[in-house]
Amino acid sequence: MSYPQPHPRFSVLSNSSLSSAEHLSPASSSRFSLPSAPSINTATTPKPGVRPNIYDRPLNKTRNAEVSAAAFAFMFSEIVQYTQKRVSGINDLERRLNTLGYRIGTRVLELMAWRNESAAKAPKRETRFLPALMSIHTHVWRAVFGKPADAIEKSVENADEYMIIDNDPPITRNISVPRDMSSLSCSSFTAGIVEAVLDGLGFSARVTAHNTPNDQYPNRTTILIKLEKSVLEREEALKT
Amino acid sequence: MSHHLFLLSPSDTPLYSLTHYSSKPSQSTSSPLASNLPSWSTSAFAGTLTALSGASSASQTQHGQGGTVKIGGGQDRHVIQMIANASLDAIEEVMRKESVMYLKSVDKFNEWTVSAFVTPGNMKFVLLHESRNDDGIKAFFNDVWELYVKTMLNPFHTAHTPIRSPVFDARVRASAKKHL
Repeated sequence: MSYPQPHPRFSVLSNSSLSSAEHLSPASSSRFSLPSAPSINTATTPKPGVRPNIYDRPLNKTRNAEVSAAAFAFMFSEIVQYTQKRVSGINDLERRLNTLGYRIGTRVLELMAWRNESAAKAPKRETRFLPALMSIHTHVWRAVFGKPADAIEKSVENADEYMIIDNDPPITRNISVPRDMSSLSCSSFTAGIVEAVLDGLGFSARVTAHNTPNDQYPNRTTILIKLEKSVLEREEALKT
Repeated sequence: MSHHLFLLSPSDTPLYSLTHYSSKPSQSTSSPLASNLPSWSTSAFAGTLTALSGASSASQTQHGQGGTVKIGGGQDRHVIQMIANASLDAIEEVMRKESVMYLKSVDKFNEWTVSAFVTPGNMKFVLLHESRNDDGIKAFFNDVWELYVKTMLNPFHTAHTPIRSPVFDARVRASAKKHL
């Protein structure tokens, strides 16, 4: 906060909000997690004054469970702006978007699994990495964005790196990143979702988002998954 | 006959616990964790020893007439908690290999059988029971799972928030009454 002549009241305000956002406690970031999972919100529009208890509402996807893309774009733009005011650099901003996405991811994972598996005779979890990655590529993407991701790639150089590629991620469709911040990818939010899903399934990883534009798709984004060593070792051991 | 349910977060924090007595519905004074903590009387240690040695049936007959001593609800509450926590090792081992969420009878300790349910997000539901009742337990776990998913959709819920919702509690009890 380097104002030439900081107004005392402003400086107090900004300091306090900075510190509250600083430690990223669940309480300080929780209010953003509501709208950002476009299709998992099962809330039907209740009659004014009558709010059904969450335990009384069905978990299954209803027809009007989709969130307006315009409303979400507006909300997400505010999220990015709010976050941007409280960080020191691009890395920090991406890290915070990642944290916000993580909170969505944990919920997406449980809800998606419940919708797919609860009717099954013996509900199953993913215990191997590649099927889990495939299910992120198709099921998670479809649950969150309404379409599967465009590609999965495995890094040639590093055995522990996998990539999920989206040619036109819906959440950054309306974002144009300024030239001086060109390394910023707001898909860090998506990376957070992926990280939470992998974490929940027991595949600890660091997930980051990178802009990888090509001629055909200027918005092409790569979600890079860097698995922890223990995960690779376990996969190796389970192979036999 | 009693059942003990524990909900444990991925970092093994207990989020919710329930004690359910199925054969004597009049005694269903099951209550959340806080009120069920052991009362540290002089005989607390003796209670631990009897429970650990598997002699709880003896103590039950001894105090049976008074109806005051309930297995796992009173002084040997901490033993129940210990058995549940000890079974986590067995659960973690099995859940890496088995892809099913419902792991039946993963562990045994004296008269207690431990069944578990692992959600995709690595939440663990641990149930201590004395008799076999696979279908009932499975149906019970499914209900708890649905209730848990609903709970965690609350944006203010984190992986470490104890579940204090009275509605959740009532629903889990109703399901326990129905299936266990």
